Amino acid sequence: MVLKQKKEIKKEDSSIVIKKLEDFGTALVKEIQNSQPPTFEIPLRTKSNVFFDEKLNYLVLGDKKEKRTFLSAAQAKKFMQTIAIANKCKKFLKENSHTSIRGLFYQLKFSLGDDLDEELFSEQSESNPLIEDLEVSLNVKREDLNLNTDRKGVVAGNMVLKDTFGGEETIIDCSKQGRSGWMIPSDVDNGMEIVSLEADYVLVVEKDAMWQRLNEDKFWKKENCILITPKGQASRGCRRLIKKLSELNLPVYIFTDCDAWGWYIYWTIKTGSMNLAYIANSIATPQAKFVGVTMRDIKDYDFLKNLTINAKEVDLKRAEEMLSYDWIKRYVQWVEELKIVLKTKKKLEQDALQGPSLSFVGKYLKEKIEQKKFLP
Amino acid sequence: MALDIFKNFKEHSIAEFFRKNKQMLGFSGKIRSLTTIVHEYVTNSLDACEEAQILPEIDVQILEEGEFYKVIVKDNGPGIPRKHLGKALGQMLAGTKFHRYIQQRGQQGIGAAGCTLFAQLTTGKPIFVISNYENQTIKCNISIDVRTNRPIISNEIIEENKDGSHGLYIEGIFGDVKYDKSSQSPYEYIKRTALSNPHLTISILEPSGQRTTFSRSTDRIPPKPQEVLPHPLGLTIADLFEMAHNQKEHSTLKAFLLNSFQRISAQKVEEIQKLTNGTVSGIRFVDLLKDPAQLTWEEAEALIKAFSNIKWIAPSSDCLRPIGAQRIQSSLANILSPDFIVVSERPSKIYKGGIPFLVEAALAWGGKAGRLLQNSEVTYDVIRYANSAPLLFDSYACAISQAVKEIDWKRYQIKDIEHSPLTIFVNFVSVHVPYISTGKQAISPEEEIYQEIKYALMDCARKLQSYISGVNREKEIQSRKNVILRYVSQVSHDLAELSDIAKAEEIEKKLKEHVESKYLTKLLAE
Repeated sequence: MVLKQKKEIKKEDSSIVIKKLEDFGTALVKEIQNSQPPTFEIPLRTKSNVFFDEKLNYLVLGDKKEKRTFLSAAQAKKFMQTIAIANKCKKFLKENSHTSIRGLFYQLKFSLGDDLDEELFSEQSESNPLIEDLEVSLNVKREDLNLNTDRKGVVAGNMVLKDTFGGEETIIDCSKQGRSGWMIPSDVDNGMEIVSLEADYVLVVEKDAMWQRLNEDKFWKKENCILITPKGQASRGCRRLIKKLSELNLPVYIFTDCDAWGWYIYWTIKTGSMNLAYIANSIATPQAKFVGVTMRDIKDYDFLKNLTINAKEVDLKRAEEMLSYDWIKRYVQWVEELKIVLKTKKKLEQDALQGPSLSFVGKYLKEKIEQKKFLP
Repeated sequence: MALDIFKNFKEHSIAEFFRKNKQMLGFSGKIRSLTTIVHEYVTNSLDACEEAQILPEIDVQILEEGEFYKVIVKDNGPGIPRKHLGKALGQMLAGTKFHRYIQQRGQQGIGAAGCTLFAQLTTGKPIFVISNYENQTIKCNISIDVRTNRPIISNEIIEENKDGSHGLYIEGIFGDVKYDKSSQSPYEYIKRTALSNPHLTISILEPSGQRTTFSRSTDRIPPKPQEVLPHPLGLTIADLFEMAHNQKEHSTLKAFLLNSFQRISAQKVEEIQKLTNGTVSGIRFVDLLKDPAQLTWEEAEALIKAFSNIKWIAPSSDCLRPIGAQRIQSSLANILSPDFIVVSERPSKIYKGGIPFLVEAALAWGGKAGRLLQNSEVTYDVIRYANSAPLLFDSYACAISQAVKEIDWKRYQIKDIEHSPLTIFVNFVSVHVPYISTGKQAISPEEEIYQEIKYALMDCARKLQSYISGVNREKEIQSRKNVILRYVSQVSHDLAELSDIAKAEEIEKKLKEHVESKYLTKLLAE
């Protein structure tokens, strides 16, 4: 049942962000009025400033910061562009309108003056990193600035959400989305509220095809779980939803291929990524566990030994790389798993579990979760 | 031996002499011939004015007349008295230059009489002259009797010089010449002459009708050249041969040698005698008691060889006549109006173990410096002088060109010399200029000479470098400031909207002041 109800737009959340933006501008104007060079700081987002936090168990930004001042010829343009983005986002928030980062780029692609052969922005590649600069220096997510990212990822399960959007409230029941599931939006925080949730755990499966298989088999109904597919690498919205569900005390299990790409998807969800280390606190789920597929599964499921395929160079390289990361090599199980891959030079796809019968994968997952056969 | 002809000079027609020695006399190409003609006349005018201590004013006109060219040169010199007029313009190798040994301008070519002969040989026409000398005005045609090498004067009119003006007017019609505004043209010759003679006002009318005047930048006439006897090491066979034949005072070679040169003492004459008594291999016998007028080419050659085997006291260096740093500076400024000039000031040096010389180098940057190419791009220009006389030809072999090429200009912030507004000025000053060939247009790259030119240019280049890097820094600071200023309006507008605490105009004004003062401070800190 879907309820529709007109209601006044809530401005509580966005007003905090607007205040942050205004404070940012005010500080700079005051510097100008006091004849000081207008300057702001941005935490560095380079690899050298990304660390694994042992307590938090995810990747975080270090303390290194970069100053950006308007009075330096090398930085003046970026300074101006960052301010322009901030001002534009303030407008979006005030109007409660949303756009993509590409839409923002087009809003700011204009000439700096009739007599100047220069545009404020001429390539989207100029505006994208500055949006990230703004996110990290104001400690907000781009979604908080009313900037959407591409939607990717689908969910089904006993979960009801209230979506306040375009001046309307919509109730979404994720158990009533048929064969297609509910597509996860880019922003699952602003104007999005989980009204009810009845599940024992969250299962994230790498591939859409596998999600469809499990959905057809009514796996989430039988097992009482929230079934999510990020459709490959998880988008920001998808990662944020997983994190939110984890914060509601649901265990999170990840089910991917046993190969470089699959491992990468898992670790990104669990510890965050280098690129997005600055928002890891809102998108990393350190409690997530790896349910499969693993090379050790071959011991328990004999048929799998005939279904391995040759590992590619990138898989082996990735395995070696993972063995060098402190936050991975502290887990004996992962070291063993990766060593098997390196030794046998084989890999396993989650689709192989459909070998004996199409629905075997459900049996496999049920067994592994019941027996708690996870990799940490 | 190109100069062998001197030996039997009198038995041969001077026309034949001329044809055989065209190259040496500077009449080797159509363009070069015309430049040589202008050079001969202008040089004579300059020398005459200097002698009479008159501020020179010279007007050169080149007019196209069918396949011929008419050249008119008019000066404000003292004029030439009637008794010398024929000899000066109608007799080859009259030797008039040799009474002054020091740094004659007219070391090249064969003087104005050579031009008369050239006109005669190419068009069959005499030259027309007007000489205002003291109270006489002489107008006449002059040509040369090619058999006897004697002047032929015709249509002579002598008038009273009523207004007391003085000067010489020469008009000649020449064939086998061509006007071309290249770097070897009469125009270029005149420009360069103006550059090395800041007291000269000279104008040129080109066949196109274009008239250009190079005005003097100083009223100070260089002092009269000191008459100093030549040093034996500075002589060529031809010099010695001609001197011997043109003197009348001495009846023996011995007396001639003792009295006509510096550093030749009785003791040195004895040494010469020992070397030329026929016992030294490679040096033939010379009778030092014979009449100098009877000296043969071979004997002159033997004497020159003997000179080179004797240890001499170095020639006095006070006979060197540089243009002077001040004068170079003022004429470069006057004619090129460059942004920056640097002139070297270095003491005289010695080459070949005894011959003093001096290098004056200068660099002019920006303004009209450099040379304009056909495509209106600018490239660097090397202007070479020997004793203030421009060298226009045979540049490839010249010590000056080689030194310029050898310098790593990039080290001095001249990143692309091929496209730089740079005039490189070098004057080689010496009582004896070691020319590479008989054309006397290139200085032999003797090690000491080549090195000295290089050092002088490097001195200048270092100063130019600091000028250019100063300018570059200033430009860079300006351009950095401008980069920021173009963003002020947009950023002020956005900051006003974003902060909501100030107006865009207020922020913009304050920010502009801020940028200006920061970069002003930077500039001042330089």
